[in-house]
Amino acid sequence: MRVSYEWLKDMVDVPEDPKDLVNEYIRTGTEVEGVERVGADLDHVYTAQVVSKKPHPDSDHMWLCQVSVGDKNVDENGNPVPLQIVCGAQNFNEGDHIVTAMIGAVLPGDVKIKKSKLRGVESYGMNCSERELGLGNDHDGIIILPPDAPVGMLYTDYLGSSDTVIDCEITPNRPDCLSMVGMAVETSAVLDEGTHITLPSIKEEKGPDAHDLVDVQIDDAELCPRYTARVVRNVKIGPSPEWLARRVIAAGSRPINNVVDVTNYVMYLTGQPLHAFDLGKLQKREDGKRHVVVRAARDGELLTTLDEKERTLTPDMCVITDGGETPIALAGVMGGLNSEIDETTTDVLLESATFSAGHTSRTSRNLDLMSEASIRYERQVDGAGCADVSNIAAALFEECCSAEVCPGIVDVYPAPVPAPVITMRPARVRALAGADIPDDFMVERLGRLGCKVEPAENGAYTVTAPTNRPDLTREVDLIEEVVRLWGEGDITPTLPAARNHAGGLTVDQQRIRKIGRTLRACGLSETTTYCFADANDLSKLGMSEEGRGIPVKIINPLVADQAEMRRSILPGLLRSVAYNLDHGVDAVALYEIGRVFFGHENKSQPDEPSFVCGVLSGHRDDEWCQKFEDYDFFDAKGVVEQLLSALRVTKVRFKVADPQTYGWLQPGRAAEVYGNKGELMGWVGNIHPKALKAFGVDAPVVAFELSVESLLRLAHRELPYVDVPTLPGVDVDLAIVVDESVTCEQLEQRIKSAGGKLLSDVRLFDVYRDPVRVGLGKKSMAFSLTYRSADHTLTSEEVDRAHKKLVDKVCRATGGEVRG
Amino acid sequence: MAMSDDLKSIEAQVEEGLKRAETMEALEALRVSMLGRKGRLTALMHTMGQIPPEERRVMGQMANTVRAKVEAGITARREELANELLERRMAADAVDVTLPGRTLSPGTQHLINQIREEIEDIFCGLGYTVEDGPYVETTYYNFTALNAPEDHPSRSARDTFYVVDNAPEGKETHVQGESDILLRTQTSGVQVHTMETHEPPIYMICPGTVFRPDTADANHLPQFTQVEGLVVDEGITFGDLKGTLDYFTREIFGKDRATRYRPHFFPFTEPSCEVDVSCGVCHGKGCRFCKNTGWLEILGCGMVDPNVFRYCGIDPEKYTGFAFGIGVERVAALRYDLPDLRMLMTGDMRFLNQF
Repeated sequence: MRVSYEWLKDMVDVPEDPKDLVNEYIRTGTEVEGVERVGADLDHVYTAQVVSKKPHPDSDHMWLCQVSVGDKNVDENGNPVPLQIVCGAQNFNEGDHIVTAMIGAVLPGDVKIKKSKLRGVESYGMNCSERELGLGNDHDGIIILPPDAPVGMLYTDYLGSSDTVIDCEITPNRPDCLSMVGMAVETSAVLDEGTHITLPSIKEEKGPDAHDLVDVQIDDAELCPRYTARVVRNVKIGPSPEWLARRVIAAGSRPINNVVDVTNYVMYLTGQPLHAFDLGKLQKREDGKRHVVVRAARDGELLTTLDEKERTLTPDMCVITDGGETPIALAGVMGGLNSEIDETTTDVLLESATFSAGHTSRTSRNLDLMSEASIRYERQVDGAGCADVSNIAAALFEECCSAEVCPGIVDVYPAPVPAPVITMRPARVRALAGADIPDDFMVERLGRLGCKVEPAENGAYTVTAPTNRPDLTREVDLIEEVVRLWGEGDITPTLPAARNHAGGLTVDQQRIRKIGRTLRACGLSETTTYCFADANDLSKLGMSEEGRGIPVKIINPLVADQAEMRRSILPGLLRSVAYNLDHGVDAVALYEIGRVFFGHENKSQPDEPSFVCGVLSGHRDDEWCQKFEDYDFFDAKGVVEQLLSALRVTKVRFKVADPQTYGWLQPGRAAEVYGNKGELMGWVGNIHPKALKAFGVDAPVVAFELSVESLLRLAHRELPYVDVPTLPGVDVDLAIVVDESVTCEQLEQRIKSAGGKLLSDVRLFDVYRDPVRVGLGKKSMAFSLTYRSADHTLTSEEVDRAHKKLVDKVCRATGGEVRG
Repeated sequence: MAMSDDLKSIEAQVEEGLKRAETMEALEALRVSMLGRKGRLTALMHTMGQIPPEERRVMGQMANTVRAKVEAGITARREELANELLERRMAADAVDVTLPGRTLSPGTQHLINQIREEIEDIFCGLGYTVEDGPYVETTYYNFTALNAPEDHPSRSARDTFYVVDNAPEGKETHVQGESDILLRTQTSGVQVHTMETHEPPIYMICPGTVFRPDTADANHLPQFTQVEGLVVDEGITFGDLKGTLDYFTREIFGKDRATRYRPHFFPFTEPSCEVDVSCGVCHGKGCRFCKNTGWLEILGCGMVDPNVFRYCGIDPEKYTGFAFGIGVERVAALRYDLPDLRMLMTGDMRFLNQF
């Protein structure tokens, strides 16, 4: 809402400096988007005088003028000199007082005045018409000022038209503030000043009664609670008087003609949208009257609105029709082209009505059509004021359009809405605010807002809210008014006692933090990617949809490749890998803990399980003192093991992942991760080269994805304490040559079960392959074994015996032999 | 008296030898040559039996003194040599201490989650719990139960991502492109879930991801992070709201920062306000960073609207409460003056590892 300071001054006493009011607005909840000097637009535009006027040497319609702007243009000695200006206007003579824009001026429409050459002659400015200055519609010639006008004065100062506009952002609960009267009332409450609002009234009513000219019928009072129609005749369409044009401009519209400007002006003044129909364009019915019928639109009905666009309507929309058939306006949003006011209009049917906020809002959204009217209707327009506003407009038609106002107003208002009556308990106000606000303050400021406040029982008050404040229906609404006018800044801060309440993170929340901490300790950095996905993400990856539900589809995605919710975190992380590689970063180690979305048929909302996913590509940055290998399967597996160990997940097993099921992983370098009781927690492996290619990743990537729910379920707070050994152990190395098919897990299990009580630790420290020394299809696996007894120091005989037994058993079980 | 001469000669020879022994080996050779089994002094000591008994005592004493001197001399020289050796070894071992240290750099936490955890910790310190809710939400929890009117503009497809409802039977939508199911546009819905499942007193925050159809640019992301807060208890006042948010603001931005409360409108709170923190660059004087206002908007808040309490089955006469919503990206942008929010989503290691 653009609030003209000059206009506001007419209705309420305001501080000299608009900035002071702006601060008060901010303090009390009116957001200010900007403060603008109107007329500041017209810098470098001066009153001037034509010193000489000669025909342009190279044109038959342009003039070469010397124009004096007084001391605004001087030579090097500081003496005033006229400007040479080439001018195409025909309505002026030598000696005329005119308005000239000098170089540097920026006129409405972002027209910048620069030094220019017109047909070879230099021109140092422009003589202006009203339209060029945005002050009216007159473009028949340049402005001619009276002969006594001074020369070299800022034109805005000459006009006395300079004004300040405060651009306020009005919250949706305050339709009253979308009007100057509403802003005046708000200002009076904010400043604790009285208002002095005078509104125009009709001087004389003439001609036939409106009831004899127009008939109004509302088919559905839910769509249109009230409709009033007035008739004015013999309007003289023309430009608006300057004061009217100026206010309409200040409010943010462009002047069109006096009839349209009056309806706009009154809307800005009162917040009630008005519409003027050309009465002559409506059909006269058998009873000699025009019939206005307000009804729901028919499905597929067409209407060309004033912006010359044809609109297809739906039954949720409301239309004004001529006799029930032809729509002539889209109710509350925009008029129809077929009943528009034009130069030939003589008689006007003036609509002042209310339409359902919800329907207007939906209509506006469905047609993507917003107007000053729809903005107000969707926030609710005061039904009680329709007729009064119509009278104001009629009075202005009389004043500004020389119209004759017909007596009577056709008013259909089936169910008048009474003003709400609210009980307010001052003690409750103080209790909720936590501030000692006196009764007097409440009574006085609510009064300033237009509430009727009367004492009631038990120290309470009965408050009747003004009808243009749909936001005031409950006690708490009044509390809000009192608190904001009192000043939220002035309320003393306190902290709540929070008795009988304990807070803090749950065990699971702490564990999720631990997952992150552990992964970071392993060198992975956390990132976040979009929860959106491309519909092809899974198929590009080679990931089966099985177990991942159906996609959650976004109806109104911003971009096509974000039209679904993701069902795996991996695609997003692969995109991040590609991003890094594309930007010359080849060491990538990322993880994300986030949700995926598994939809289901016949279920509105999806499951949203959380997963932790990590990707590793390239290698850690080499340093002068240490070099790193490229990340491979065992780096990713190591991270997973570290994570499971940190969470104290026990009985972890890694099993070969079936290439049929794990299509996105490289066969032979992919494992499923199992926890206690054989619960599948996720996978780890090299991403399949084809999947990498599909995501534009040009380097090997190892990755893992684990279910957070599984991790939390299988995690332990603590594991039992194991005594620290006090007696020395005996370390023995064992290198055993086995077939490639024997896995490390198998070998280790055999060793452990063969080692008996004395074997306390088994650690693989080398895997060695050599076709000659070890043999083809074989490998040597070297373990470091520790023998220890808890109750005595082992003798070498004991160790030898145990070790020999172990070696025999393991070799027999695995077909291996000890490597000499 | 030949023996005493011999002893003197040995003493002199050892003295000389010690001076010349530059290495442990030379010193050891000297020791062996004197004290070893075939050493001169050892040999001399063995001849002690041949000394006439009357001289033996004096000679014995003399020989022992010399022997002690020789031993002490060798020990002292050995220590000296050991020290020299150590010094030399350490000198050879010296490094350029300005060379970089050997590290195994840990990864970093995403900036947004760092701030989210910081916020969680601040409120956990005030006795709050941390709650959660679904991202794919119903219009009831995202709007209706939060007192947003049926036709509130925020419900439009311009401001809300709607998703296909897989079980649409019996539900009606008036506006094309909308459905009963959406991506939550705010974490406020968790207020409702929490009030439905918890009896007051409630002191909770809900950090989480939210979605709005804003095309990603320097200042907007279609997916961002909010922290919702809710307190429901007996006797909660607007002053309590202020005290809590003042505390939070100073914890997160610094003790020297001031707050400003501007009345505002949200459907689910009344009275409502927006909170500004004084600009950390100009300290309220006005600069480019704060667009010359001296203030930076950081959050919205208010006293819980009684209608919301009623939707959740809580008696608004008995309980009052406040709620607030903090934009985590906003906090991050203010702290670091981030030029482009999109960097938060790319996974660029060079960006992530700065924090």
